[in-house]
Amino acid sequence: MRDRTLKYVLVLPGVLVVFATAVWPLIDAAALSVRVWKLSRSSTPGAFIGFENYLQALESPDFLYAVWNTVLFVVLTVSLTTALALGLALLLVKGGTLRRTVQALLLLPFAMSPALVGVSWRFMFNPEFGLFAALFGAIFPPLAHVNWLATPTLAFTALVMADVWAWTPFMTLVLIGGLAAVPQETIEAAEVDGASPLRTVFQVIIPQIMPVLAVVVILKTIFAQKAFDIIFMLTQGGPGTATVTLVFYAYLNGFKYYDMGYAAALSWFMVVPMIALTFLYTRFVFRR
Amino acid sequence: MSPRAKKRFWNGVQVALILFAAFLVLLPIVWIGMAAFKRHVDVFRLSFLFTPTLENFARIMESPFLIHEKLFNSMIVALCTVAFALPLATCAAYGFSRFRLRGERIMLVMILATQFVPAVVIVLPFFLMFRDLGLLDTRFALVVVYTAIVMPFATWMIKGFVDGIPLETEEAAMVDGATRLQVIRKVVLPMAAPGIVTAGIFSFIIAWNEFLFALILTRRDAVTLPVGLQLFNAEEGVLWHLLAAAGLFIMAPMIALALAVQKHFVKGMTMGAVK
Repeated sequence: MRDRTLKYVLVLPGVLVVFATAVWPLIDAAALSVRVWKLSRSSTPGAFIGFENYLQALESPDFLYAVWNTVLFVVLTVSLTTALALGLALLLVKGGTLRRTVQALLLLPFAMSPALVGVSWRFMFNPEFGLFAALFGAIFPPLAHVNWLATPTLAFTALVMADVWAWTPFMTLVLIGGLAAVPQETIEAAEVDGASPLRTVFQVIIPQIMPVLAVVVILKTIFAQKAFDIIFMLTQGGPGTATVTLVFYAYLNGFKYYDMGYAAALSWFMVVPMIALTFLYTRFVFRR
Repeated sequence: MSPRAKKRFWNGVQVALILFAAFLVLLPIVWIGMAAFKRHVDVFRLSFLFTPTLENFARIMESPFLIHEKLFNSMIVALCTVAFALPLATCAAYGFSRFRLRGERIMLVMILATQFVPAVVIVLPFFLMFRDLGLLDTRFALVVVYTAIVMPFATWMIKGFVDGIPLETEEAAMVDGATRLQVIRKVVLPMAAPGIVTAGIFSFIIAWNEFLFALILTRRDAVTLPVGLQLFNAEEGVLWHLLAAAGLFIMAPMIALALAVQKHFVKGMTMGAVK
């Protein structure tokens, strides 16, 4: 076979699969989103209603609340994860037996399926025998005997904590990779000049790992926006709608209320920020 | 404080912080792991001391849980996913790595983009398609979806490894009269083998841990382990000791696999943006 044909034969099946998983569902969702379709009443799509579903979302307080929850969840988990991961990476980058062992331990939370993380944290926050519920109660007495997952703000806090717990180790490993590439001389030079450790970190190290830091922030933003398993298992969006994010709201409308047209319109609200983030990310992948 | 004492003090602080971090990382895992060996009454005690039992593992194999069937489903689905995705991904990776293609950049960006689409967005069309085909609640449906999910990821990873194989080795073989396909089989595949294995392990982990598609596309027969966890929400409350035992089944193989790919972990998960 000639190379000219071969190259397309090699690539085509893969590209078709990708097309079938990303492009086709999006087009299909767009086609559904302009129709009325309650699956519980009819098994085929109903009448064309234009942008009715999109307008319904923009006018719905539940939707706007889900947007707010998503923004809050993304901002909190991204900033906490990044800050903690950077701190831990700085502590671990020096190497040595202890640091390497702990670094290997950091793989464990990644090995846990997010659904299992959610379940485990629900266990930890059980009001009667949850270990964390007991620990926090001991540290802050007002929190003793409080049912975390039944209190809106605390349920949201627990969700953020579980997510940060699940992602910080991975982001730490990424940042250790970035830190290892910082030339040792630049750090030593700063020390010789009498810079304090804190100043060295902020003025010498961080500027040099900016690209890696950006990768961490963008990736975590994407993952936070996508989070579903952990919410499903830990809070089910509750209490009430306190932890319903956009993804969970779309799930509820599609697969609890069977409003297919509306759920499809909701997914398009998520696609726009996703595309923006993807293009941002490709700038780091193709930089070379 | 003398400079030396100061240094030792700060070193001590660092070690303390590192140990604290390790403690925080391990605590939930150890706690849920321990619950798997506890009797029902011990679960309700906040104590690290208890008499371990293996009863829970026997109990979750019985009706109505039948966790071994979910384990079997998870295993079959993940293995088939890897078996389908790797050949496709390896071909595509070689094509992207070695040839200039029209619209190459756009295709690569699209491949990357698939990783970033929330699953909720694509699950709806898939659910409706499998419903129309009568394939809901089959392992086959899951394998199709998972192949599609891991393929882009595997392509990116393997491409990274193929990029690292010097062109000269291939050219040398071609000068000796080998055809392109022979070169791929005899030169490229063996050299890219570690990358392909790594991509396979990553694909296995993703398929094994996947939750949303399995939740929506299965009911009874094709339920996988992560979805099976819901079985333990009984009327009398959550059966934590049994749930933990099932959780251990999900976790243990993943820990082994994650340790196996430790070296390529960061590069794989960031799709090559961080080496």
